[in-house]
Amino acid sequence: MSETREVVVRESGWLKVLRLVGVPFISVLLAMAVGSVIIAVTGGDPVAAFAALLQGAFGGPVQIGETILRTTPLIFTGLAVAFGFRANLFNIGAEGQLAMGALAAAWFGLLLAGLPTGLAIPLVMLGGALFGAAWAFVPALLKARVGAHEVITTMMFSWIALYLVSWIVTGPLSDKSGIPETPMLSSSVWLVTFDKFIAGIPPVRAHLGFIIALAAAAVVWWVLSRTTLGYSVRAVGFNPQAAENGGISIAWTTIWALCISGALAGLAGASEVLGVQHRLFDQVSTSSGFGFTGIAVALLAKNNPTGVVFAALLFGALAAGSGNMQLEANISPQIINIIQGLIIFFVAADSIVTWFIKRRQRLALESKVVADAE
Amino acid sequence: MLSEVINPELFASAIRMATPLALAAIGGTICERSGVVNIALEGIMLIGAFFGVVVALAAGSTHISWLVAASPWLGILAAVVASVLMAGLHAFASITLRMDQVVSGTAINLLALGLTGFLMVTLYGHPGTTDPIPVAINAVFNFPTPAGGLLATAWSWIDQIVFSYTPIVYAAMIAAVVGQWALFHTRWGLHLRALGEHPRAADTVGIRVLRGRYVAVLISGVLGGLAGANLSIEQVGSFNENMTAGRGFIALAANIFGRWTPIGSYLASLLFGFADALQIKLQAFQSVVQIPVQFFLMLPYVLTVVVLAGVMGRAVAPAEVGKPYEKE
Repeated sequence: MSETREVVVRESGWLKVLRLVGVPFISVLLAMAVGSVIIAVTGGDPVAAFAALLQGAFGGPVQIGETILRTTPLIFTGLAVAFGFRANLFNIGAEGQLAMGALAAAWFGLLLAGLPTGLAIPLVMLGGALFGAAWAFVPALLKARVGAHEVITTMMFSWIALYLVSWIVTGPLSDKSGIPETPMLSSSVWLVTFDKFIAGIPPVRAHLGFIIALAAAAVVWWVLSRTTLGYSVRAVGFNPQAAENGGISIAWTTIWALCISGALAGLAGASEVLGVQHRLFDQVSTSSGFGFTGIAVALLAKNNPTGVVFAALLFGALAAGSGNMQLEANISPQIINIIQGLIIFFVAADSIVTWFIKRRQRLALESKVVADAE
Repeated sequence: MLSEVINPELFASAIRMATPLALAAIGGTICERSGVVNIALEGIMLIGAFFGVVVALAAGSTHISWLVAASPWLGILAAVVASVLMAGLHAFASITLRMDQVVSGTAINLLALGLTGFLMVTLYGHPGTTDPIPVAINAVFNFPTPAGGLLATAWSWIDQIVFSYTPIVYAAMIAAVVGQWALFHTRWGLHLRALGEHPRAADTVGIRVLRGRYVAVLISGVLGGLAGANLSIEQVGSFNENMTAGRGFIALAANIFGRWTPIGSYLASLLFGFADALQIKLQAFQSVVQIPVQFFLMLPYVLTVVVLAGVMGRAVAPAEVGKPYEKE
């Protein structure tokens, strides 16, 4: 070659669209297809199963309400994991931060029940976010100071949180009913359900937390794209060395990013307590799994806040419909976990697609260089 | 009280508790030495634990006497096969497809959790715990207890701490020694470590990078399968949903604490095993010490964080760990 050139590999417009929307879409379809095979192999009827699932997720106002209910925490945890990913941090322990947020809500909800609703709810939610952030702080500090991998530390903190909550609900905050649970919160701190402010719909369980989750998605988008912190987070995630050279502190950005991630997960827990259970249960035996599904949500959304809302809606619908699927088609709702794992695989495997695109472009480029030389 | 806590049974229990961690940690060591992070160990163990029990239950419920007698052994075999398949999936995704290794591991963990939960309900009609396996695996050695005297007491200590274990417990010790020898004193081990430190250089001198990494991940599948079988078939005698309870992650910490060496991994796992054994013993004295049981249950996880915090700055990981290799 006579000259070396800096070649910027640009994707054509439709290829970019294909990768952003097409790949997640195809991944979901592929995962559903493999899920169908598993259902069929174990003696079920996949068509009936997915029909029952759709019916259970979107069949009417009550079903749509259930889907929104299940979507709400997943928006929060999806945002939490996505925010971490943007700084190249894998917050696998959102489950624990969620439990701490729920703990804060159950506690502050009892303490602040006397305040006016408009003041109490924001304060309790804030408490949930702070507890979640605090639970991410030690792993963040360890990552920033000694490089302890956040995948191991946040996971360990998750288990510690579950046992801590388990102690709180049987000990200090127990309602002494024999069931491991805290006392019921006063309805003044409940997040109201949609039927209370939308006239003419039957009672649904979907609650105001959904609106807060959407607002959180908007705030995360704003922080990431319009603030210095967001710029630092993206810079560190993209190329830590270059970011450091450019005057951004990797340590501080790491701590901020993981704590904000924890705060978002904490909001998920607070929203569940204020909006759904209105009290806190033992989390060891009835772990929500929202933290782990949040990983699937973030990956499917490619860490894009808008994408998180839609990915959460998908997984929310799967969760809401799975109950009906069990009822009508006798398929264990655990199939949803399998489909989640598969979706992560297929989405992440879009490297194959990228690889093909790059390869084609490289071949085209090489033949062009050869032609030029001749 | 002290003699009721600190006795030979405590140390024997520590070694038993350390076994699944150690096997997984050694698997993690071999993977990371070859340049592949294996977060999937948790799921690999879980799948092994599950299919081990499924096969042991199936073989044990037949009316063919030799099949019933062999049922736990067939279970161990099934555990290894299932875990190797799961490890193969991780290898394919992270080595061939060059997927982010941590993401691939997470997908496998979710898949394992979903698959075992789903199949549990499909096969046995209920979630939670399976029936106990009909035939258990006994200790390898079974020496008669000599009558009274100081010598007999000394012997009973040795008997409990050295000779009281089921086969996979010894397999873990052998894996540590053989693994150490293979990694640091054979040509194979030298090549494997080269893959994790400088795959490009290894490639240049003719070492097959991708194949070497595949072998490493599949070995971790074998060890993960044994770890799962130890948990379900040898220790508990049945399968509980999510019974690995974070052990795959603790094992990775043990691997780091053991400075990416098989014997180091084993010794670090002993520490975690001891913490686990101690907290189980102490639970019996909960009313005496007035500490809620949950704080005992937290101990292994807290210890993991403390150990990681203490050791991290000084331990050096293989240079290219976690990075997919692309031939030029």
